[in-house]
Amino acid sequence: MESKKRVAVGEGLLTGPLEQFEEVRLVGTRCHDCGEVMFGTYHSCANCASEEVEQIPLSREGTLWSYTIINHCPPEPYKGPKNPFIPFGEGLVEVPEGVRVVSILDCPLEEIKIGMKLELEPYVLYENEAGEEVVAWKFKAK
Amino acid sequence: MREVAIIGAGIHPFGRFDETYIEIGQYAARAALNDAGISWRDVQAAVVSEQYLPSTTGPRILKPFGATGIPIMDMESACASGGSTLRQAMLAIQSGDIDVAMVLGVEKMPRGFMNPLMIYSEWQAYMGMSTNPSYWAMRARRHMHEYGTTEEQIAKVAYKNHKNSVHNPNSMYRKAFTMEEIMGSKMVCDPIHLMEICAPNEGAACLIICAKEVAHKYSSNTPITIAACVHTLAAYSADFRCPIDSLSAKANNPGPTEVTSKKAYEKAGIGPEDVDCFEVQDTDAFCELEIYEQLGLCPFGEAGRLIDEGVTEITGSKPVNMSGGLISKGEPVGASHLGQLYELVQQLRGNCGPRQVEGAKVALGQVLGASGNCAVTILKK
Repeated sequence: MESKKRVAVGEGLLTGPLEQFEEVRLVGTRCHDCGEVMFGTYHSCANCASEEVEQIPLSREGTLWSYTIINHCPPEPYKGPKNPFIPFGEGLVEVPEGVRVVSILDCPLEEIKIGMKLELEPYVLYENEAGEEVVAWKFKAK
Repeated sequence: MREVAIIGAGIHPFGRFDETYIEIGQYAARAALNDAGISWRDVQAAVVSEQYLPSTTGPRILKPFGATGIPIMDMESACASGGSTLRQAMLAIQSGDIDVAMVLGVEKMPRGFMNPLMIYSEWQAYMGMSTNPSYWAMRARRHMHEYGTTEEQIAKVAYKNHKNSVHNPNSMYRKAFTMEEIMGSKMVCDPIHLMEICAPNEGAACLIICAKEVAHKYSSNTPITIAACVHTLAAYSADFRCPIDSLSAKANNPGPTEVTSKKAYEKAGIGPEDVDCFEVQDTDAFCELEIYEQLGLCPFGEAGRLIDEGVTEITGSKPVNMSGGLISKGEPVGASHLGQLYELVQQLRGNCGPRQVEGAKVALGQVLGASGNCAVTILKK
């Protein structure tokens, strides 16, 4: 059986073959002038306005900078499990390139703590109307 | 530049009502005109702020007062809308173009969760990282980690503000709660509880402002000088309240309230030690703690001590949110900052009864919202 086509949850956020989750990375944009690294695809630097920027893959490993627990089902168009809703951790994950990325945390809620080591975990969030698997990301405990 | 003063202030209570936004806005506008003792014909320009209402909201509210042909402009800067609006009207007066302007903020927001796509990317909403309190909570959690701020100290802010609201007839909630009730209320986003966050709602507030040199020709009210009104956007990566998707680990820019209040203090020629009372953006209880630090009421990391010591109580040396704050009033976004200024005008006039700060002569209002929109206004008696 032919596997379903996969698409990223947003433009310019993920790089690598979506069929092989272990090779998928988050996208960063590095500024050649000020050295800042931003999450996602930018065509100029959000810090210094330089247009000398390039896209780079971000490391798959990071540490937790801060977090919260989402105890109530987020509003539409939330695509995660709703019936029943499963509370989850949301955090800012700092990767070595110098940027903290907002992410869902895939680990037992009581084990979440600042400074914990985490690893990128792409996953299929939902199937869209075109029958494609929409790929998002979480970070799981390493 | 010409000094600008407030000669009239009006409000429609904040809450949930059956009236239309047009009725709510007209109520506050009429109250402000009556307070100043002027006629709509005296108003030479109007600037109206709202975020969740249709195009030409301003004219729809004000043109029925009489088609006097004046410019009526609509503006929006998220939670700081009232600040950017007031500033635009002030500039028209300072330039000498006009003498008298109306500044009106009005809102009627949908019930329940705000539509996340108004401020978040689609992917954030799909993944469920689209609830404002979750970003406030991450900020709080980090402050707790770095400085030892406690859940109890956060709850104390809500306790103080709910307690103050009892005496404010314009507040949506007017009920004092115990610390146990606050800390035992539903955990919305760890560590932020339900009774520690503000609700979006409805309401309106209006100011009549005038060139101070001619204020006596229009109104017998003692003019209240707008010593500063500053609106800025947060520096790069200086704020991650919401709806951001990342934060630099290298940049170390000062926060939006710190930058904006510094400019405002400078313009007014004063420091935080000269301000008698404050109304600030307590969208969540933790936010108020962070604002103490950014406004210079205490060194960074010491906001928890400030609330413990009661410094920001009405009877303390730096009273904050005498009105009950956004936690009690709710946040009708477009009306919020002008609502703060309405309260501060009443404080400076000595009209506030049990929530009056004795002898208040200088007052500061602060708001902060999406995209790092921040406004600080300083009023002087």
